[in-house]
Amino acid sequence: MKQKPFLLAAEGLNKSFDGFKAINDLSFYLDEGELRTVIGPNGAGKTTFLDLITGRTQPDSGTLEWDSEHDLLKLNEYEIYRLGIGRKFQTPTVYGDHSVVENLILSMAGPRSIWHSLFGKVTAVQRDRIAEILKTIKLYSEAHRKAGELAHGQKQWLEIGMLLAQEARLLLVDEPAAGMTDEETYRTGELLLSLAGKHTIVVIEHDMEFVRQISQGRTVTVLHQGNVLCEGHVDKVQSDERVIEVYLGRKSKAA
Amino acid sequence: MTKAPITSKVQMPLLMVMAVFLIVVMPVLNMTGHIQDYTLNLWGKYLCYGIMAVSIDLLWGYTGLLCLGQALFFTLGGYMMGMHMMLMIGKLGAYNSNLPDFMVFLGHSKLPSFWEPFYSFPFALLMVFLVPGLLAFIFGYLAFRSRIKGVYFSILTQALTYGASLLFFRNELMMGGNNGFTDFRSILGADLRTGSTQRILYITTAILLVAVIFGCKWLTNSRFGLIQRAIRDSENRVLFSGYATANFKLFIFVVCAMIAAVAGALFVPQVGIINPSEMTAEKSLEAVVWVALGGRGTLVGPVIGAISVNALKSWATREYPDFWILILGGSFVLVVMFMPKGIVGIPAQIQGFLKRFKRHPGRLSKVVQTETEPAES
Amino acid sequence: MDRQGFMTRLMWIAGLLGIVLAIQEVSAQGEMSVREKVAAAITMPDSDNQIAAVLALKLTPSPEIVEWLGKWKEGLVFIYQDETGATIPVLLGEKKTGTRKVTMRRLDDDSVVKAGDGMSVEVAPLDVEMAETSSKLRKAMKQVTDLAALANPDLALRIRAIEDSAIGQDPEKLPALLMLKKTEQNQKALDALDESIAIINLRSVDTAKRVEAAGLLGRRGSLAAFDLLKTIAAEEKKSGNRKMEEAALLAVKRIEAHISTINATGTMFRGISSGSVLLVVAIGLAITFGLMGIINMAHGEFIAVGAYTTYLVQNIFAKGIDLSPFGKSISIPGMKLSEGGMDMYFIAALPLSFVIAALVGLLLERSVIQFLYRRPLESLLATWGVSLVMQQLFRLIFGPNNVQVSSPTWLSGNWTVNDVVFGWNRLFVIGFAVLIIIATWLVLNKTSLGLLIRSVMQNRNMAACMGVRTERVNMMTFAFGCGLAGLAGAFLSQIGNVGPSLGQNYIVDAFMTVVVGGVGNILGTVISALGIGMADQTLQQYLGNPVIGKILVLGGIILFLQWRPQGLFVTRSRSLD
Repeated sequence: MKQKPFLLAAEGLNKSFDGFKAINDLSFYLDEGELRTVIGPNGAGKTTFLDLITGRTQPDSGTLEWDSEHDLLKLNEYEIYRLGIGRKFQTPTVYGDHSVVENLILSMAGPRSIWHSLFGKVTAVQRDRIAEILKTIKLYSEAHRKAGELAHGQKQWLEIGMLLAQEARLLLVDEPAAGMTDEETYRTGELLLSLAGKHTIVVIEHDMEFVRQISQGRTVTVLHQGNVLCEGHVDKVQSDERVIEVYLGRKSKAA
Repeated sequence: MTKAPITSKVQMPLLMVMAVFLIVVMPVLNMTGHIQDYTLNLWGKYLCYGIMAVSIDLLWGYTGLLCLGQALFFTLGGYMMGMHMMLMIGKLGAYNSNLPDFMVFLGHSKLPSFWEPFYSFPFALLMVFLVPGLLAFIFGYLAFRSRIKGVYFSILTQALTYGASLLFFRNELMMGGNNGFTDFRSILGADLRTGSTQRILYITTAILLVAVIFGCKWLTNSRFGLIQRAIRDSENRVLFSGYATANFKLFIFVVCAMIAAVAGALFVPQVGIINPSEMTAEKSLEAVVWVALGGRGTLVGPVIGAISVNALKSWATREYPDFWILILGGSFVLVVMFMPKGIVGIPAQIQGFLKRFKRHPGRLSKVVQTETEPAES
Repeated sequence: MDRQGFMTRLMWIAGLLGIVLAIQEVSAQGEMSVREKVAAAITMPDSDNQIAAVLALKLTPSPEIVEWLGKWKEGLVFIYQDETGATIPVLLGEKKTGTRKVTMRRLDDDSVVKAGDGMSVEVAPLDVEMAETSSKLRKAMKQVTDLAALANPDLALRIRAIEDSAIGQDPEKLPALLMLKKTEQNQKALDALDESIAIINLRSVDTAKRVEAAGLLGRRGSLAAFDLLKTIAAEEKKSGNRKMEEAALLAVKRIEAHISTINATGTMFRGISSGSVLLVVAIGLAITFGLMGIINMAHGEFIAVGAYTTYLVQNIFAKGIDLSPFGKSISIPGMKLSEGGMDMYFIAALPLSFVIAALVGLLLERSVIQFLYRRPLESLLATWGVSLVMQQLFRLIFGPNNVQVSSPTWLSGNWTVNDVVFGWNRLFVIGFAVLIIIATWLVLNKTSLGLLIRSVMQNRNMAACMGVRTERVNMMTFAFGCGLAGLAGAFLSQIGNVGPSLGQNYIVDAFMTVVVGGVGNILGTVISALGIGMADQTLQQYLGNPVIGKILVLGGIILFLQWRPQGLFVTRSRSLD
């Protein structure tokens, strides 16, 4: 039986900044529909890895293949985005001077040409979709507020909403729970779980509580010094000695 | 909810009043003799500057691109129109030759071939758009492709303007050297020295200004406008929303170059002279002052700024020739520091001021700093 | 040819004869001054003796001979016959008002001619006879004066005379040159002698000598012989003298190679020096713009502050200065120093320009810039306003025209190595740039201020958390950058005009230099300044048009940024945006 091709396949990636090896011979495979959690201590290369996927940074060597037909290294940021790869940044980056609705309109799936931006109209279908997303991310009542005035957690959700509007096939979510209250964190987890299956999702997270909530028997990847340290079920990962040493151990000592 | 409530509500009626006043009232008052020909002509000049100011604001206030080359595009447009009008002088020039005077003076006996088509007015008009547009396209393509932004973009446009002015000062370019073009006689057969011709030119300028403003209003209210402002606030984020920002910037850059060029083309017949000293980065910066003073990020602001600064200039250079530049420079520093939204933003600023005053009567000094918008990163 | 050679030989023999005669005379009369010798020659009874006496002067060549023989030749020497009948060569004095008579001074000892009674004799100019010269005599005089010029004790003038002697390839000058070659000690003069002799030999009758001369000139890369060799090559092609033609052509080829080396070296030198000007102008900007990210459009005006400071110091060292800013008149008294003291004013002006520009910078930072650190575009606009105000203040205080700043005398002149001319002022430019770079590097890397500056520029917030008073550091850094601009002004006052718009001429170039070098990197600025300077000079050399060259450089910079959008040296950071 022929194996189903990976949605995203990274092989032998390397990237160093002024001698510091941020990514070191990293290989990473992702199936369509997966919800993968990536953890790792600070400086493990998690964010740099997302930078490589989204075209923000070029690797020194290695390959990055999308859907076994596109070479992501040959594409720039917006071309990669148009393939259906969306990203939520570590610090929420929304358009602060635009209203919440405008933020979603800008992210709406559809043509990205100048012509369309001048003469294209927001269709009724799109309007409904926006309303739906607003409800999903619980910002319906804030629709016409400036995004810059939202609370931190609301900005995080708006950014997730922007990914939904984009109808991305792959959501790259960088530390969605950072700076949130426990309750917000839990609701964020629920939101991500409800998206699993419809979208392929990669979540980068520090908060182990949150990781346990969303991984639920799914694969967790541990990065360390730019390389995959171990991969597997969350319980297995948590009991792996190397992981405890480099990450959890240090964390428990600190706690 | 606090998004510039006063300015946007006031803008539309203000715009209509301005349009009627400029297009209808002024010329009528001129015909009845209440406004002198000289004054109307002066206002024609101000309105040309106003159009250029709108183009600067569209780039700077809306897209975050501070271009110091708008005076270059303005002057290029003027030169294209000037070439046509130089040829229209015919044998009426000082040397009674078909060639423009400066060519005779430099000892040429034949019109350079690139001048030939400028006998045709439509061709000259086309060139008014094409030459500055093409220059903007080439420069913009190179600059935006390599992601030059922020102050680097400003510095490079300054260098572009500087290089172009060096070129136009040369006689070899056959564009009149440092004297440029002057002594125009007629445009489309109408004598430039009559009041009625000047009035028609004025009305044309006023209509164009209003058209440009309405065009820009439509543009900035479209999804394009959303993207424009998004680029201004966070260009990297726009890339990660799937937009090829370089193309959007290039488009607006070329459009603005053309707007400035048309203003220049209307400026030349009304002022009667065009030379390379108009083509400097300082002139661009001066125009940026108008925009900053009037209020950037609005469409009426730049026009108000252009008219008021130039009216002030006409008066002050007569009354206080030595101190005029001190006034201009000083007020500019103050505006940039304390009035980031310019004249148009004053009501909102006062409102915010009062609100804060009620809440924290003791912290007046902080208002100034917190009132400012985040700049291009 | 033959006839001329014969005549020359004849003259030569006559000369030798004269020398023999003169030696007897000299030994008889002991040591005589040049004036006495010339006077004695004038009083010789006949033309042949006169010629012999003149030729005898060859033995003691001195520049004085040129002067006195010149006076004789030009008819300024007269013969006075006194009461005793003795003939005395004299020079006539100034005509006194009210009389038509003049006094006389003796040619031999410069004393006033007196009668027996001790009264000075006065004569009417028409009553005294001019000392005549025959054409033969004048020819002899020329030989002597040529040789005397060659014997000039001043090395530079002597070399000039040696080089001049080759003009016209007059074989008559050969003996003098050959004679000088025996006694000359200085190597440069000897080289010049060889070259001149060879050039004259190019027109020799002896083909072997000519070929040899051409060979020598070619090896030497003689510029003086270049045109002549080309002419000879063309002539010999016509006359069919293959051997000489080939020799001449080879020499021409060698000299051409030499010329292109000179041009390349010269261009490189000029490139380095104009790159150094750029560097000096841009180094302050590399601090304020490159390190701090402030677009200071008034940077050029800080340069002007330095230049005007130098102007003031110069005037204070001299006779003072009157200024009338805003209609009030201010007089600053001067120290009225002498020449030597004046040459020192520049040394005093350097630190002062730095300090004053830095103080003005401090003022600007406190009043405007500190509010605009996070708004680079606004700082661009505000500082442009400041630049307008400053320019106008210069106009109001110092007047709208350029002011005179004299450069110390040691800045003129040049230094020639292997036919490449290195002007002192350009060498000064390079030296100054090197000093400024070293000073900047030392401040940034070896002082505690430098450490603070670097820490704040790398991570403002982190530095603030570590207890660094970032506000103070910003202030100091900006003042330092402005001070460097002031130094640049002092420097520019020495090589160009000082006027209100001095800064405007450099601001675009300065920004380009920093942008190309890569922001935040002093080394990048150095390399980019030198690169732009070289490109500029090279294009000027090939296009012969500075403006087109400049435009091409600007275009080149835009294209360069396509390749490296962040300049030569990228300062990497991992932070967003």
